[in-house]
Amino acid sequence: MSITVKVQDLVKYYGSGENLVKAVDHTSLSIENAKFTAIVGRSGSGKSTLLHMIGGLDRPDSGKVYIGKTDIFALNEDRLAQFRRKKIGFVFQDFNLIPSLNVWENIVLPLGLDGKKVRESEIEELLVQLGLQDKRSAMPATLSGGQKQRVAIARAVAANPAIICADEPTGNLDSQSELEVVNLMKKCVADYGQTLVMITHDEGIAQMADCIIVIEDGKVVNQS
Amino acid sequence: MKMVTRTAIANMKYHKSKNILTGIAIFLTSVLLFLVPSIGFAFMDTEFTLVNQTYPTWHALFRAVDETTAAGLMAHHDIETGGLRSDVGFFYHENANITTCYMDSAAQKLYKVELSEGRFPQKEDELVVSEGMLKEFGVSADIGDTVTLPFQKYLSDGMDFAADEEFTICGFLPDNEASLKSHTFMALVSEEYLRNETPKEDIRYRFLFRVADADGQTTDEIEAKISAIRESFNIPETGMNINEDYLMANHTDPAFFTAIAIILLVVTAAGIITIYSIYYVSMAQRVQEFGKLKAIGATKRQIRQIVLREGLCTACLAVPAGLVLSTLLMRPILTAFSKTISQVLDSSTNQIYQNIIDSHEISLYRWEFYLFAAAAAFITVYLSLFVPMRKAQRISPIEAMRYQGTPVKQTLRKGYTDLTISRLAKTSLMGNKKRSSFTILSMSITGILVVTVATILSCANPKNGADNNIYGHYVLELNTESGNREHPEREWNNLIQKNPLTDNLKQQIEHLDGVEKVVDFTWLHIETDLEGSEEIGVSGLLGLPESCFPELKKGILEGDASWEDLLSGDKIILNETIRRWLPELQVGDTLEIQTSDGNHTVTRSLEIIAIGNYPYGMVKHNFLLTAKEAADSLLPEDCTGYFHVFADQNYDKTLENNLKELMGDRELLSMTTWKDEYEVLRTFMTIMRSACTAFLAILSMICVMNLINTMVNSIHLRKKELGMMQAMGMTGSQLSKMLRLEGMFYTISTLFLSVGAGSILGYAAFLWAKKDGFLSVAVYHFPFGAVLIVITVLTFVQLLLTALLGRSVKKESLIERIRFSE
Ligand SMILES: Nc1ncnc2c1ncn2[C@@H]1O[C@H](COP(=O)(O)OP(=O)(O)O)[C@@H](O)[C@H]1O
Ligand SMILES: [Mg+2]
Repeated sequence: MSITVKVQDLVKYYGSGENLVKAVDHTSLSIENAKFTAIVGRSGSGKSTLLHMIGGLDRPDSGKVYIGKTDIFALNEDRLAQFRRKKIGFVFQDFNLIPSLNVWENIVLPLGLDGKKVRESEIEELLVQLGLQDKRSAMPATLSGGQKQRVAIARAVAANPAIICADEPTGNLDSQSELEVVNLMKKCVADYGQTLVMITHDEGIAQMADCIIVIEDGKVVNQS
Repeated sequence: MKMVTRTAIANMKYHKSKNILTGIAIFLTSVLLFLVPSIGFAFMDTEFTLVNQTYPTWHALFRAVDETTAAGLMAHHDIETGGLRSDVGFFYHENANITTCYMDSAAQKLYKVELSEGRFPQKEDELVVSEGMLKEFGVSADIGDTVTLPFQKYLSDGMDFAADEEFTICGFLPDNEASLKSHTFMALVSEEYLRNETPKEDIRYRFLFRVADADGQTTDEIEAKISAIRESFNIPETGMNINEDYLMANHTDPAFFTAIAIILLVVTAAGIITIYSIYYVSMAQRVQEFGKLKAIGATKRQIRQIVLREGLCTACLAVPAGLVLSTLLMRPILTAFSKTISQVLDSSTNQIYQNIIDSHEISLYRWEFYLFAAAAAFITVYLSLFVPMRKAQRISPIEAMRYQGTPVKQTLRKGYTDLTISRLAKTSLMGNKKRSSFTILSMSITGILVVTVATILSCANPKNGADNNIYGHYVLELNTESGNREHPEREWNNLIQKNPLTDNLKQQIEHLDGVEKVVDFTWLHIETDLEGSEEIGVSGLLGLPESCFPELKKGILEGDASWEDLLSGDKIILNETIRRWLPELQVGDTLEIQTSDGNHTVTRSLEIIAIGNYPYGMVKHNFLLTAKEAADSLLPEDCTGYFHVFADQNYDKTLENNLKELMGDRELLSMTTWKDEYEVLRTFMTIMRSACTAFLAILSMICVMNLINTMVNSIHLRKKELGMMQAMGMTGSQLSKMLRLEGMFYTISTLFLSVGAGSILGYAAFLWAKKDGFLSVAVYHFPFGAVLIVITVLTFVQLLLTALLGRSVKKESLIERIRFSE
């Protein structure tokens, strides 16, 4: 069993004085390689803040995050960006597709940013897997919520990153699409051997995970 | 309704950057709307005041009017005041020109004749003179003193011999710098003198008058009245002189208003396009806002009002600010202009000019223009809000809810297999074709205007103008004047009896230092059978030497001519400019011409074998061109009309003085120099150039607001989108590159359109200006300087903008942008 992500004494506060919010408060945890880890907790407990720091989107007040052997906050902004596009994929609750790009372009965007040549057959296979084979040239505005989220998943896995961070990816979906999406993500992780870290408020989904981390007031209260 | 205003004000604060930009555009628009008419009118007023201070105040005069006609004219209902003047002769002096006349008190007023000392003459021997005039004769005298001076009287059939005559001085006229310099003076005699010297039936007056009820009438209307009076008294047109400068100065010329109106229309159009496009571009961002307002029950009318009031509130701040700034700018601008003008004015006129501007004789700040500028600025805002207002009210709540960032109309797009940064920039621009093209178009309009105007200005080279208007560097010509009874010696047929442009003079000039050659042209005063030729003054036949034939040949537009044709004496080339007045003239037409030296009259039929276009300096306003030899053979006298002196440099003070010395009797010869022409043109062009540059600079600033708005908006709108790209690993330099590429797209497209269309339009404008002689444009010059400035400014603004925007994007943390939503 190997550890991919190691969080050490991570701190992120917002505001000051009366308005001080301890979003992440001296948190330490580790996430196992090639497993599905679910993060659960009440709204406002600091889950998103934690996940953003794990994915290198936000910087902590103090503490460290190791991905593999890399201390990611020791990297400068550009290095961190480069690190992100190689190692980490994101899926957000509100999809966040680029409206001026079509489905295909949205998916290959991280590859493009990395200056990598697109292997068309791989992406086509991914489209088939996600049931998007006839949406290749469609614009995001014409897709349903479930379809949009599947495009976002395809985008997150296209560059074959080591870790996929998903922040309530099913929050905006009906229960039918919700299950579909989670199963797809699990399948991808299993097929490509990726690590999946997913925030969810859904008890059922959390039960599908290999490991559950419970957060309360910025602290890890339980890891199983 | 209160809610509407409150929402509008809240919106104004919320969309601060957009409102600052529209505010600046409105501000600059109102500056121009005030400054253009104010400066225009201030100039006109200055000119008018100057004229009123120096010119006589009669509207017109009739020459050679006898007593009975004068009495009839006095009684005419269309004449307000009439004055009489009668010239009795002049005091004979070699260098000075001293007109002597009788004037009645009305004429004295109309001519603004005021004595510095003494009174007007009453007794027969009384005389009013000026000290400067007495000095010419080396005499000094006081009031009451008797002086004896050589006097040459007008007789009914010409001039008498000069003879000494005795006068008693009763008053003095003031001297001014101009008259001392030109040795031109006036002396006044009494009515008694006139009546005793001339038999009653031989007395001829100049009748000068002001037309009744002239206030508020246009120049054309007054001139029409004058002509009507003239016709009813059977006075020939040549016997009339209209005080054009005075009329122009006091009664406005419609063309002036047209010019101002056109400029103001351009300003308003630029304002509307810019403000409209700023609102248009930001409308996308506000679909949701208006949709939500609608969803909670705002009516269409309320939505319209919210948009309108937001714009009007901005205008309420920007317009007064604009008016304050322009008020502060007025005086410095006028002073700068008058400094430039002063370079070509003689010092006395210059002094008057400066006094007018410094004293408060003209009102620089007219409330009408404040009112106008404010009203026009508000109307501009209203017009530019018109379409956004309609758009806002049409937004449906559904549209607003479903709306995600930039609205994309397409459902499918072929797209790229691989993405690069430049392709990313391209898709973003193409995803919003309408917005991109709108911004580019509206910016290009100014760019095109700048390039077009710059073309004309760069073609307007005072050197070319002077080259065109003066053939050679110094031109000596006969000072002929026809129909001027006071100067019969200037009648052409009198002049050629003793033509001062002799071969001897030519040789002397050729021997002067610095002279390369002297080209002499023959000139004949002719009469033709053409209808209307008298009025437009087509009366000249020019004979050019063989050395000019290549130039003659080159200028031919229609037909053909060989030197032998011209030598034959019955074939001529027609000067094309004459066809503006006589468009019916064609190649192949035959003209009957007549010329007379007073002793014999020659009649010829001349065939037009070609029509040509020539520099003004070469052909002047003469309409028939032929070989010198052919022209010379018409009359026995020496009919040399011009010496064109070519020197080894454009101007040489010593040479000019030497030429003046050789000219001697300046009465009958006049000299124009390349240098004078150049100076006048140069000053005029400097003024034109600075005015145009200032105007275009402000106009460009208005349009740059547009670029700023588009860029700010495209980045503001895509904050989250850009954040996502960064989350996926876009580095800072990749982001900058993308923004730079987008900005470059706007800049380069705008430049292409501006320079491309501007060059074409500029060339068209050049052709028009050349044809019309506007700014003496002759040779086409591409406005490299201006284009370079346009390119530099636009590129600089865009780079600066991208850098600033890029920095502001990077300043916000990535996570803030990802969480950002409106
Ligand atoms: N940029 C911010 N400024 C101030 N407070 C913030 C910011 N981001 C998050 N917070 C606060 O931090 C706490 C944790 O937020 P978040 O991580 O989004 O919680 P969760 O994802 O568990 O709902 C919340 O109380 C939130 O209000
Ligand atoms: Mg959250």
